[in-house]
This record gives sequence, structure tokens and C-alpha cells, in this order.
Amino acid sequence: MGQTERDAFIIGSDELILVTGASGFIGSRLVSCLLNLGFLNLRCFVRPSSEVTRVEVLTGCRRDGARVELVEGNLLSREDCNAATKDVAIIYHLAAGRGEKSYPDAFLNSVVTTRNLLEASIRDQCLRQFVNVSSFAVYTNTKKPRWRVLDESCPVEKHPELRGDAYSFAKVKQDEIVAEYARKFGIPCVTVRPGHVYGPGNEPITGRVGIGTFGVFLHLAGSNAIPFTYVDNCAEAIALVGLTKGTDGEVFNVVDDDLPSSRNFLRLYKQQVRRFRSIYVPHSLSYVLCYLWEQYAKWSKGQLPPTFNRLRWHANWRKTRYSNEKLKMRVGWKPKVPMAEGFKRYFEACRNGVRDA
Amino acid sequence: MLKVAIVGCGKIADDHAAQIQRIEGCEIVGVCDREPLMARQLYERFPVKQHFSDLRELLCDAKPDVVHITTPPESHSDIARLCLDWGSHVYVEKPFTLCEDDARTLIALATEKGLKITAGHDDQFRHAARRMRALVQSGFLGSGPVHMESYYCYELGQTAYARAILADREHWVWRLPGKLLQNIISHGIARIAEFLSGDSLEVVAYGFTSPALKRMGGSEIIDELRVIICEQERTTAYFTFSSQMRPALHQFRIYGDRNGLILDQDQETLIKLRGKRYVSYAEKFIPPVSFARQYLGNLATNARSFLARDFHMKSGMKYLIESFYRSILEGAPDPIPHSQILLTTRIMDAIFAQLDAQQQSVESRVQASVY
Repeated sequence: MGQTERDAFIIGSDELILVTGASGFIGSRLVSCLLNLGFLNLRCFVRPSSEVTRVEVLTGCRRDGARVELVEGNLLSREDCNAATKDVAIIYHLAAGRGEKSYPDAFLNSVVTTRNLLEASIRDQCLRQFVNVSSFAVYTNTKKPRWRVLDESCPVEKHPELRGDAYSFAKVKQDEIVAEYARKFGIPCVTVRPGHVYGPGNEPITGRVGIGTFGVFLHLAGSNAIPFTYVDNCAEAIALVGLTKGTDGEVFNVVDDDLPSSRNFLRLYKQQVRRFRSIYVPHSLSYVLCYLWEQYAKWSKGQLPPTFNRLRWHANWRKTRYSNEKLKMRVGWKPKVPMAEGFKRYFEACRNGVRDA
Repeated sequence: MLKVAIVGCGKIADDHAAQIQRIEGCEIVGVCDREPLMARQLYERFPVKQHFSDLRELLCDAKPDVVHITTPPESHSDIARLCLDWGSHVYVEKPFTLCEDDARTLIALATEKGLKITAGHDDQFRHAARRMRALVQSGFLGSGPVHMESYYCYELGQTAYARAILADREHWVWRLPGKLLQNIISHGIARIAEFLSGDSLEVVAYGFTSPALKRMGGSEIIDELRVIICEQERTTAYFTFSSQMRPALHQFRIYGDRNGLILDQDQETLIKLRGKRYVSYAEKFIPPVSFARQYLGNLATNARSFLARDFHMKSGMKYLIESFYRSILEGAPDPIPHSQILLTTRIMDAIFAQLDAQQQSVESRVQASVY
């Protein structure tokens, strides 16, 4: 990292950085990225239940002169949060409830934990940036200012409880609490919203392409672009957003360049990983099916959960284009791993996963 | 309008709120959780009037007629006592209490104050379970149950959950006398308790940690349990809890001196077992046809319930809550007799006492071999 780049950062290379969820899919890459950028003092917060291999990767990240402190704890414990945030200049908050199907669990592991971390960070008064890692799942994708383009100016879901998706509910609420604490206590915060982060370690096909719930894969996205971001690119974007001056209070979306259509992605996946049967469901039909499911769930008072509904259709399967202009312009990010190379690595990991299964 | 409150806004509270809103003539006047954000999220997602983080405030401001207690089990007893003291009827999620003494105290307090109390053994009120009860009461088994088998399995295959509990020593599961088992087995034990009187009960329990859980570092948690229960050398029962056997059954078999029944909770089926045999080769051909016919009958019943919008995953909970409210409003009998609640806790106490003794004897054997 050159001196000019360092001057653009809000902290010096010796100042302490906390990464929560550091042993996670993105977190472990973020740690590596920060070390590559020359930061020498990292605190990695991991759950005691974290997978041993990923924790070992972190401890293996130690470079000459760099200090990677591994702190085990639970963000639901205020004591653990106080210990984790002590003397920290930047917090990268990646820990969240992923894959939770129940609303209370997702909420507890995303919102209550974030609130605890924010409160702990107020105590020390040395925090320069709180990087809230959110998700594309918070956008409504309806009534956008620019019809087909989803960017940072797009509205967030007003009624996430109606989406039938615990994760997006929790993420919307997480963003709300971060904004509330920033307003009330003047905590410097920036929000990063990655699209679908892919790469070795996150093998399943994203629900934005389609669903395999009913025994056969229903391809719902057709010619839609899928907002992929390769995990290393995403980690670098998160790192830069937290470090760059003048990002306080902003939101940054993260997607790579040259986004493939869902159809192209699925074709490549079938060619390079495994063959399976899929049925393409045209957009108008998937919309009608989501509508009918939504109405039935309401009429039957929850005999079928409202998993499929129009809000989800808009968010996941509506024809949309994505923009990473703001990220490029404001923090100088560029996706280092091109889509073709990212897919090559991802498909290889998928093939290994299939072989190991 | 019956005023209802929910205390404890975790996962199971969602099920309570969803079922309560399906019942006419009641409203949720308040929800409460020590963590204000948790109370607020439940309030935001369901038609709830107020949210609280202090139980006394809830009781004082919302003045609920009924309180549903959905907190971790160790707090059930204290919260229920407070609610009864304030004059509210109480529905306590399973496990009812941590021991029989606590259960006895609560039931005595409710009786003294003329209030209703019940335990959340809602699996006993699912469609097929209710059909089974009706058949048993009609004398289908003969003069009464001779033997029962209750399977209640739990897939620990979701290793993230197991790892989270194993890694977090502060998790409330560790503070339960029966640890993981205490939170899970009461449904399966309650099924047996329903058909026992509780006199001269003998319980023999054997538990161990499965190799799979040991590999995950969970050797302190018992996830395989076999129990024999015997009442007055008249009625016996086997209870099986397993995290490893497949299929992970939730099944109950009951045999009388005339006929038997098999209840499958997952498939929502009830199969009659004919006590008498057919002659010669007829036994090889007629029963399979009879079973096929019965399964088709179950399919038709389930389909009818589904089409009638009465086949929710938590249909048993709705039925139990409705019955409980009826017992409050109309003086109908308790949906679960107090004696059954007490017997369930007594059997669980006996199981955990024996597992404790086994554990201690294993530890002392290990120590002896070290020296």
C-alpha cells in the first residue's frame, strides 16, 4: 500500500481494528485483506462454536509484525462486547444470524447483537467508524427512483415482516438500529450491502436464480442479471469502505462487473458442476404463483407459511439491473477477481463438495 | 373478550401468537421479554396491543386474564407463581417445571386461588392424537393399556445448533437438571403419563452419549435414552429418545388386551391393530389390505382437514389453547388433568436422577482406573 493510499484512510496501520464474524465466509477474507493492506493490529471476534478450520486460517494469517488477536465470545453478552470493543478504532460488523428460519432467532443474532456492540462502542469514545455489513435483502425493489436499476438510492422494505423471510426482516431491523444509534449517539457509521456473495465456502445456488424446494429446480430468474460478488472482491470493498475518509453515514452496494444472466449461470453450473433437471418458470407465471400462495397463506391463516409472496418476488426475481458506480467512484474499488475466474474457483469448490458429499 | 399476554418472546412465542390470533374471542394485550428489543419485534409482527420488558408492568398495565409463559424452563416456576399471585390463569410451555415439587407447588397455588393452569403438551392434541384418545376411551383396546411404546427423536444433524449449545456454557440448556433431554422429552413422556394412574411406578433409565455427539465434543450431554416404566406390574411402557436413529420417529404405540393402535405424529396417521388373527394364510393377505385401506383413510382425513384450513403444523397447540380458554370461560374440564402434569414431571425426575447416578458412577470408575 502506497503512502498516498494510506493518507486517504481514516486510521493508521497500527490502530486496532475489530472484525466480528471473523471466522465466517466473508470475515476470514476480510482479515486477510486488511493484513494485505498493511494493517498490523487486528482483533478477530469469533463464536466459540466457530469451525476450527476457519479459526486456524485466521491464526495462519499472521504476518511479520502483525498482531492478529483471536477473541472468542458471544455478542449477546455485554461483557464480551465490552471486551471486544476496547480501544478499537474501526469495527467491521459481519456477525449475523445466517440461515435462520425463525424470526426471533434471526432477530436475536442480528439485531440484539448489533445493539450490544453499538452500546459497547460508545463506552470507549475512540471509535472512528462502525461498518455495518447489511445485505441486498433489505431493498424492496418496488417503486425505485430509476426503474430497473437497483442502487443505493432505492428504498428499503417498509414491511419486512410481510416478506416471509426471517433474514431480510432481521437485516432491515439491524440497519434501523444502526441508524438510530448513529443519530442518537453520534456513532460514525457506514453501511455496506453486498449482493450475493459467492465463492469457495458458499456452494449452494442462490435463491435469486430459483428454488429446489419442490423436488425439481424451478428456474425463476430467466434472463435477469444476478448480483454476484466474489467473496475476495466483496471483502476488499468492505475493507475500503470502512477505511476511506468521508464515507460516514453513507450506504454502499457491492456487486461485481460483468454480471451474468441467471440462465447463463445455470448453464455453466450444469456444465461444470453437476447435471440436474430444471424447469423455467416465466416471470408472469412466477408472479401469479407468488400472488396465489400469498393469498392462500392469508386465507388459511398460515396453514401454508407466506414463504412466497409478491414482496419476495419483487426482491428476488423481478428484472433488475445493478450498479457499483458509487463504490468505484467514492472508495476506488475495482473487482480484482474477474467473474470468469471467480466462477472457475467457485465451480471447482462445488465439484469438490459434490464429490465429498 | 379474553385478554391474553405472552411472556418470553423467543421462537416458541411466535407459535403461540400465531395460534392465539386464530382463536375468536381473545386478544393479545401484551407481550413481555427481559430484552426490550425481543418484545418489540413480536409486537411489530403480530396484532399485539403493548410490549413490556418488566413482567410486573405487564401484569399491572395490561391486566391479562391469561398469561402464556414461553421463557426458558428454569424461569417457568417463578414467573407462573407471580402471574397466579396477580390473578391470571397460566399456560406454561413444556417442560412445565424443573421438578415435581415445583409443579406441585404451582398447581396447589392455582387451585387455592381458583385459577386454571396447564402445561404446553400440545402434541397430544393434534388431529390423530385426538382420534386415538377417542378410540381408547371407547374401549377399543379392551380393558385398558397393557403396554406402550413412545418414540420421541430429535435430529442433531443440524450440527450448527448442537455446536452452538456445546460451545456456549451460558446457554440455558446447561442449567437444566436433565440438560438437553429436559427440554425435549416431555412430549413423549406425557403421552405415556396420559394412560397411567401413577400408582407404584417403577422407572428404569439408561442413557449415553452417541458417538456422533462425542466427536463434536459433547460427551457431557446425553442424547440417547432408553426408559422402561412399569406400573403395578400391570401396565408397562418403553420410552426411546434418540438423536441418531433414522427415521427420527415421533410415534406412539399402545396395546391393550384386545387391540392396539399406532399413532404417527409426523405423518398424522392412526392405524388400528387388530388383536385377533385371521385363519391360516388369510393372515398373510387380509391385514396388508386392511392397512392399505387405513392409510388411504388417513390420507382422506388429512386432505379434508387441509381443505378445511384446519391442518396447521401447530394444530395441536390451537386445540389445547382453545380447550384451556374454554375451561376458564365456561368451566369446562382441564384439557390436561393436573395429575397427568405431575406424573410427567415425576417420571422425568426419576429419569434424570438415574442418569445422574450413572454419570457419577462412570466418573468414579474412570477416577478409580486412573489411580
